[in-house]
Amino acid sequence: MTTATASAPAGAGVRAGRAKTKTVVGTRRQLDASELAATGLRDRWYPIYPSRFVGPGDMVKVRRLGVDWLLFRDARGQIRMLEDRCPHRSAPLSVGQHLGDRVACKYHGVQVNGDGTVVSVPGMPGCALEGKTVTASLAVEEGADMIFAFMPLTEDSEVTEFKLPDRLDNPEVSWFSNYAEWNSPWRFYMDNVLDPMHGAFLHRDSHSMFGGDTSARFRIRETDRGFFFEKTDQRGKNFDWVEYCRESMDYVDLEIPYADSAGPGGSFGIVGMSTPIDAHTSAVFHWRTRTVSDWERDVWRFMYKTTLEEKHWVVLEQDRELLEALAADADKDEHLYQHDLGVARIRRVHDADAQKQAAILSEGIA
Amino acid sequence: MPEQYLEANQSRVGPPNPYELKLAGALSEIFASGSHELPAIISGLNNLGLNAPDGHPWDETRFRSEMRRLGE
Ligand code: FES
Ligand SMILES: [Fe+2]
Repeated sequence: MTTATASAPAGAGVRAGRAKTKTVVGTRRQLDASELAATGLRDRWYPIYPSRFVGPGDMVKVRRLGVDWLLFRDARGQIRMLEDRCPHRSAPLSVGQHLGDRVACKYHGVQVNGDGTVVSVPGMPGCALEGKTVTASLAVEEGADMIFAFMPLTEDSEVTEFKLPDRLDNPEVSWFSNYAEWNSPWRFYMDNVLDPMHGAFLHRDSHSMFGGDTSARFRIRETDRGFFFEKTDQRGKNFDWVEYCRESMDYVDLEIPYADSAGPGGSFGIVGMSTPIDAHTSAVFHWRTRTVSDWERDVWRFMYKTTLEEKHWVVLEQDRELLEALAADADKDEHLYQHDLGVARIRRVHDADAQKQAAILSEGIA
Repeated sequence: MPEQYLEANQSRVGPPNPYELKLAGALSEIFASGSHELPAIISGLNNLGLNAPDGHPWDETRFRSEMRRLGE
């Protein structure tokens, strides 16, 4: 389900023999723990954009983790992701020209290839910039209809192995992807999915989440890839559990029952991920899945396209509208109760990571 | 963010045609009544007075091949 890999160095601009400050790739500065938590933790894979949005010859600018990037496909169709900033005087490469295996900056014509190496300085042939790899390029993969990239902390970061969530890499499971942009911080998305209890209230008026009790007790159960946050007294009736998975990327995995009218095959699964665009907006990725085969698979796919997709969309909009209505500091001075153990846990995980990454940056002065 | 991407339908190119909507509606109705087995679905469609695309009543072969096409 995964296509070719472009192996690229995590960072760029290695100047050997000179003591230098460790900066975050694409930012030219250090970030503290709260900035890292706000714009996205590094050193993990993130979904970036639907594959279908980057056709051959396209130059697409996307902002992710607070940095502007250029996406393009090289002449072989391999996706490339460069910082959207020319090594010469920082003009956005995305307004330049696609030249097959490279792009040319519009300002003075400098050409940069998919690895971030300057291949030509037309205005000054033989210029010392030629042959230098000074533009940040990311390791990228495509799978499950999406472009994914490894977001390095520093140029020394090691790219980890890319692995799709099991549910999306299983021939028994049929899925559809969905992409959306929310005017809401990345961390609110995570809080929301680690909070199954909101299903019975926010989504009570929906095609799939009307069932079950409106009160529940929860527990956390550890797994080898993360943890479950689940109701102790109800399963298979509503949004009753969520598994937070920490693999090469962070994602949530959950199941929600379908009403009989959705046809054969039982519950549907959701794989959810969110990638910060910047500190205030997020790119949100969902895959709706169902374990079905043969004619049941065909029927599900037909029903999804004609009726279910719109019903799923209504549910997702309920989440978006609520999260976009939250104050920017909504997660300060709350009064959490037992249903919020999952929220508290995910915040601790991310906070610890942000602290660790901030420490790596501040140790960086050799 | 310049323009927020919020598109409800991402699994198909155009809207479903009236035939597809009618078929999906009939299927929902049959499923909602609790029938999830092939013979029950097929007789359900025939009882609702819907025909297969060739004008004949639905049978297993016609149903499978039409769903194959529509579900691709
Ligand atoms: S800024 Fe790109 S070539 Fe000068
Ligand atoms: Fe929700």
